[in-house]
Amino acid sequence: MHIYGAKQLQEDVFGQDLCIGCGACIDLCPYFKSHNGKTTLVFPCDLSEGRCYAYCPKAEVDLDELSRQAWDGPYTGRSLGNFREIIATRAGKKMSNGNFQAGGTVSSLVASALKHHRIDAAILTDRDGLKPVPRRVTDWREVVRCAGSKLMVSPTLAAMNHGLRDGFSCLGVVGTPCQMTAVAKMRGNPMSKENFADPIALTIGLFCNWSLDARQLASFLSEKTDVSGIRGMDIPPPPANVMVIETGNGQLEIPLSEIKPLIPPTCFICLDMTSEWADVSVGMFEGRPGWNTLIIRSEKGAELVQQARDAGFLETGGMPVDTHMHLSNAALEKKQRSLRTLIRRELINNNNDKRSALRVAPGIVQKILGSKTERP
Amino acid sequence: MTDLLAHQEGARCLLMGNEAMARGALEAGVNVAAGYPGTPSSEIIENLANAAQNGRLYVEWSTNEKVALEVAAAASFAGLRSLCVMKQNGVNVASDFLLHLAGSGTRGGMVLVACDDPGALSSVNEGESRHFARLVEIPLLEPGGFQEALDMMKWAFALSEKIRNIVMVRSVTRLSHASGNVVLGPLPGVDAQAVFRYNGNILDPMEGPVISMPVTAKHGLQQKKLRQAVALFDASPFNTYTGPDAPEILCITASAGYLYSKEAIDLLGLEDRVGLLKLGTTWPLPSRLLAKYLALTHQILIVEEVTSFLEDNVKILAAGMGPEIGVKTIFGKTDGTIPSVGELNPDIVIHALLKITGVDYQGVPADYTQRAETIADTGAPARDLTFCPGCPHRASFWSIHMALQMDNRQGFVCGDIGCYSLAIFPTGFSTLKTVHSMGSGTGIASGFGKLGPFGMNQPVLAVCGDSTFFHAVLPALVNAVHQRSEITLVVLDNSGTAMTGFQPHPGLSVDASGNAVPGLDIARICEAIGAGVRVCDPFDLETTRQTLFDLLESRGGVNVLILKKRCALSPERKARKDFKMSVDQAVCLGSNCGCNRLCTRIFRCPGLIWNKEKKMTEIDEVICVGCGVCASICPSGAVVKKEKA
Repeated sequence: MHIYGAKQLQEDVFGQDLCIGCGACIDLCPYFKSHNGKTTLVFPCDLSEGRCYAYCPKAEVDLDELSRQAWDGPYTGRSLGNFREIIATRAGKKMSNGNFQAGGTVSSLVASALKHHRIDAAILTDRDGLKPVPRRVTDWREVVRCAGSKLMVSPTLAAMNHGLRDGFSCLGVVGTPCQMTAVAKMRGNPMSKENFADPIALTIGLFCNWSLDARQLASFLSEKTDVSGIRGMDIPPPPANVMVIETGNGQLEIPLSEIKPLIPPTCFICLDMTSEWADVSVGMFEGRPGWNTLIIRSEKGAELVQQARDAGFLETGGMPVDTHMHLSNAALEKKQRSLRTLIRRELINNNNDKRSALRVAPGIVQKILGSKTERP
Repeated sequence: MTDLLAHQEGARCLLMGNEAMARGALEAGVNVAAGYPGTPSSEIIENLANAAQNGRLYVEWSTNEKVALEVAAAASFAGLRSLCVMKQNGVNVASDFLLHLAGSGTRGGMVLVACDDPGALSSVNEGESRHFARLVEIPLLEPGGFQEALDMMKWAFALSEKIRNIVMVRSVTRLSHASGNVVLGPLPGVDAQAVFRYNGNILDPMEGPVISMPVTAKHGLQQKKLRQAVALFDASPFNTYTGPDAPEILCITASAGYLYSKEAIDLLGLEDRVGLLKLGTTWPLPSRLLAKYLALTHQILIVEEVTSFLEDNVKILAAGMGPEIGVKTIFGKTDGTIPSVGELNPDIVIHALLKITGVDYQGVPADYTQRAETIADTGAPARDLTFCPGCPHRASFWSIHMALQMDNRQGFVCGDIGCYSLAIFPTGFSTLKTVHSMGSGTGIASGFGKLGPFGMNQPVLAVCGDSTFFHAVLPALVNAVHQRSEITLVVLDNSGTAMTGFQPHPGLSVDASGNAVPGLDIARICEAIGAGVRVCDPFDLETTRQTLFDLLESRGGVNVLILKKRCALSPERKARKDFKMSVDQAVCLGSNCGCNRLCTRIFRCPGLIWNKEKKMTEIDEVICVGCGVCASICPSGAVVKKEKA
């Protein structure tokens, strides 16, 4: 993977409106700061190579390299990425009821991982008022406080970087596909640090089609309701086509057509709907309220799920073929849409010293663009 | 500071031009002096304030130049001799009152000293105060040496009483701040009594009310007196001619230009060919005197700083006298013989004379400049203008810059005049985006803050100093509050008029002569105006930044953040270290990813050294003042502060 410095990151990512604000560059150095959902380079840095660029999920991401590192093979372009099994899950009896978005699977897996010392701390996303904020949790009973979708970009990985500075060496990270990409880049030791030991023991990825700009959403909602009274928000599966805001005075439904303009443009260059670089990925189970879809990808992920189930943290069930296919089609459509945008914006596979957001084998690009969605 | 009262009549002293002028005022028996600090003028009031402790002389640092002129005028109206001192752009501030004062006339001798700053050595403008003398029709004197600075002051008071109007004396940096030998005259006894008489006829200059009405009548009277002044100027010993009876070139000059011209003529050995007419009275021009000397030759060179004031006025006179003196070729700023910007020096005058005479002269070798630059490149490191070590402004701008960058809405700061103007440079992280006159940052911000309906959604900040706050920010702040402008004003309160040497201002509880006076509380004033007010210690970077975030996100009108910390050079902080600073070299990340020399590359306090060999930061024990701020910015905690016992 090509690595450059802050100056190039400023040009490639901030200059092209590609920053998602994931937090990968925050707390590594004094130059990148996150405030209210926006990441900024506060002073110039003239190093030719930096961790900021090396970890960024929007700068020179080489999918073959990530794939070899994670799955010992080149990137295949499969719609749902590399996986072992897809099942339905929800929180087990051991979990107290939380403000779960769907089945509470993420909270359950994290709590189990902490309880069974698979990780020393979990990097999660909490909420401060409306604002999503990074949180490091070490007590399994506190995990449930961070439950529920934030739907907004959060600099969660700042808490991972902070944790590493504080000496944690066995972290679990929960994040969106872009955050999982950043974590995967970091785990590859791109700066060739001596005595590097992978400090990430577990990654739990979230399904994500797009995120919302935190500032724009806050400003948008403040015109509709008293923002301080918001307790939760959700986008129920189709055909609802609305965003549901839970307030002290009941529910507020906002048509998705009003929300979509708040999607950061960088979401439209993302190939990954299901967090393909994570040990396990979790999303909603369309058509079965109160349950999640769980994609088990790595051996570590399989062990985690097994243990959580055995210890009563997680309940599992089967996944109908239709649901699987539906998910796969949605993921493929996202890949195709985003590839077209990447090509149109000249952000992919550039040559002759022109830097790229993404590098994918040309054959795979053609394969994805030529794939047909399956019909039941 | 020299004790101007210590020496007796006839003593020969080495005095700064400003000290010579202050002594001249004392020898003239000045009773009241007022001014606002500004380089290169400040030492005049400072020396008088020092002298005021020993006698019946009242001296004040006024809130601004206009108020200073009004304070001095009151003394004149009451029959006392008074002096008002300011730098060039101060005259702009005072000019509205100056126009009306020239119309009403004065009683006791009143002198306005304006010290201009050619080349803007200590200014953000190259303003020319001389034009005001012509604009408001009052006499203008320009000393051309140190003795003359003293003598001319005395004469200016006498002239003022002769024509019953204010007289302007103009100095420049190289006269105000250079020193020369001066023979002192006698100091008068003090017996002045102040009475304001107003029961006479409206046209009675000594007994009637002091107003500029009836305007045309008073205006006519003013001009009549000015013509009396011209008659005196024609015979004034301050206007001198040296040179041959029939010179090829007549060089007309004034002020520091006289010294440069004399030196140039001497170096070129042109004493027999060039006549030097030095004018001490430059407005209105002494027309008979000029007619006499202009008639001597047809080639005239005019040497002056900054704009073509003399040149234009000589041209007008020469045009009118054409039939009498013949057609002249006038060299100066208009034809480019003399540069139209910047300070003069003898070399410039030499080159002007070479151009006219064609004389062969090699002052410095042709490649001198190039060689000097080459040597400087290798031998002398580039030195930026910078805030002092321990300066509160560096910490304040660090937080302001950081807050605005993180806020990420292209917010900006409007600045004005003070040490903090340096924040247009990297020492203040290039935070300031506008800098104009005193108080104008707040006025401009007030305007920016009303552009929301036109799509402007950038946060608008202004900064000002504590002295500037009183000088000219107050009306702008009142405007911003009244007009519901959305701005944040940051008052960089370092407890004094620091840039010009800690002169007191209305916020302090001491006056120019060290007497106790009531100090006004900036926070309470702002609250009374209706602004939201917060106060922080700028050395507490975290709290300051958080407060700025709060203010940037708050909606509705004007907020004021007062960042209060004494200037590092203030008598209270100077030579006192709060902390012993050190760098833990095992922890310092140096130029590695994760720091990249934040302290020596970005923060750049002169107390921090980058050791190139060790690739580590070190503390310069001599320069560091132990403020401790660098410990707060170090990302790895390598900079350690230890409380001084």
